[in-house]
Amino acid sequence: MTQSQVQLPKRQLLQTHLLRRESIGNSYHVLTFDAPGETGPLPGQFTMIRSSEWGQAPLLSRPMSYLSGGPTPSLLVKVCGEGSARLGRAEAGEPFLLLGPLGTAWRAPDPNRRQILVAGGVGIAPLLFLAKSLAGTGKRPLLLYGGRTNRDLPLSDDAAESCQVEVTTDDGSLGHRGRVTELLERTLNDQVEVYTCGPDRMMAAVANLCFAAHVPCEVSLEAPMACGYGVCLGCAVPAALGGYMYACVTGPCIEAKAVDWERTHATFGKPAAKGEPT
Amino acid sequence: MTSQSVRIGSLVLKNPVLTASGCFGYGLEFDDFFDVSTLGGICTKGLSLKPRDGNAPHRICETPAGMLNAIGLANVGVEAFCRDKLPILRERGVTVVANIFASSVDDFVALAERLDGESGVHAIELNISCPNVTHGGIEFGRDAKMAAQVTAAVRAATKMPVWVKMSPEAGDLVGVARACEDAGADAITAINTIRGMVIDVANMRPKLANATGGLSGPALRPIAVRMVWELAGAIKIPIVGIGGITDTRDALEFLLAGASAVQVGTASFRDPCSAQTIMHGIREFCEERGCDVTELIGKARR
Repeated sequence: MTQSQVQLPKRQLLQTHLLRRESIGNSYHVLTFDAPGETGPLPGQFTMIRSSEWGQAPLLSRPMSYLSGGPTPSLLVKVCGEGSARLGRAEAGEPFLLLGPLGTAWRAPDPNRRQILVAGGVGIAPLLFLAKSLAGTGKRPLLLYGGRTNRDLPLSDDAAESCQVEVTTDDGSLGHRGRVTELLERTLNDQVEVYTCGPDRMMAAVANLCFAAHVPCEVSLEAPMACGYGVCLGCAVPAALGGYMYACVTGPCIEAKAVDWERTHATFGKPAAKGEPT
Repeated sequence: MTSQSVRIGSLVLKNPVLTASGCFGYGLEFDDFFDVSTLGGICTKGLSLKPRDGNAPHRICETPAGMLNAIGLANVGVEAFCRDKLPILRERGVTVVANIFASSVDDFVALAERLDGESGVHAIELNISCPNVTHGGIEFGRDAKMAAQVTAAVRAATKMPVWVKMSPEAGDLVGVARACEDAGADAITAINTIRGMVIDVANMRPKLANATGGLSGPALRPIAVRMVWELAGAIKIPIVGIGGITDTRDALEFLLAGASAVQVGTASFRDPCSAQTIMHGIREFCEERGCDVTELIGKARR
């Protein structure tokens, strides 16, 4: 068979603008964009985003998981560096460049299992997108949501609309005092499956609990990324089969078994910075 | 109508815009974005005899108007390239410059022999300037004698045009380039990244697992333009200019400094269609001035 001669429409950076930015306290923001031409993202996919006004510094777009899709997709931003600080200052109408949707979506939930979502801080975004997509099916997943303090749990009220929410904080200022994995351990059985997004150390701990309990576990990978579509090879994640996979094209959503968590821990597992749930 | 074609030794390119090695995969990753056969050419990810996994993460970090990378030449290996990638590139009519990397002269020769006569490969680019591997790479590029030795050995092993990619860390850049010219190189690519470093102050550790990485992006551009300028005054073979080109204006700087063609690198990470946009931009620039692109080459020198 010869190569198809059909010319598929080519993708390019979407030139769009910010519709609105909602500040939701303690350096979290929800940014909503006008993206009528964009192919609708699926829960778990991400976009590369930067403002046209950045010029050549910051140079690179930022990878961000979608918080919601459709013609006005939104993103959850935590201010932690130069790029996110600018996103946190952006005003409605500011021109933006988006490349997306990129990467893999969450695996379709098993209708015969209860979904448990395990989120750490800003990792809530792709999980909340998944939870909202389940609402139409009558499913109400359990969300185990961990943060350092009660101010590090963005969108927890919003999540209560689509999930049964249980919260943990390191300082006990809200919900269970301790780690989110302590709650997870009590809920694992052969009727559930787990989806998780958060700091690597948290995801590694979640993955290990799931392996031990023979519970299916999906993770959303995060790594520094320059391109988002598989050419810079910056976002290497140690693969269980040896070598590396790339968070942008093999992921971000992938079964936890595909990741070599021991090597991931060796390379990414520096002491958790303040504010990271562990 | 203006002519956009340029000559790099015996190789005629459709236009002066290529994509840089390490920033464009094997070209096939861009199917969704544009027809890469319209470009002057693509330089493949650096190919080694055996596949390489690359360095441990973290591999990249952003810097002011630039980025550091220490990918470690992760690649599929020359056999998988010839078997899985090249046939598709050939069928699509893509002009392919195979970038090769080895840690010994013998392995450079073996790579050149393997690629010699492979239909679809139009030139070989020697990476003697990678800053991110323990052996080979930059060691060859810093020293005129070693650079000449690799170039001569590869020259003898292939009939294909041989380009040599310079390290900005060569103490005597002109000397290294002249040695490569004398050893039979058809063109000089200038420049590769320059080593830099960022320390994560919160963790008190280098940001990159490799500690150092190659600096690319606009921050590098004035250095690259200066080096192309110096080389253009010193060697007779064509220069392929590279270093922080993000738009048409940047690319024109390199041509005016004396480069016969340019490579677009880090800019492809920001916008997969960067090289195509620059290619169109140069054509428009020439049309506005009613000149052929070759008239721009080295014009700032005259």
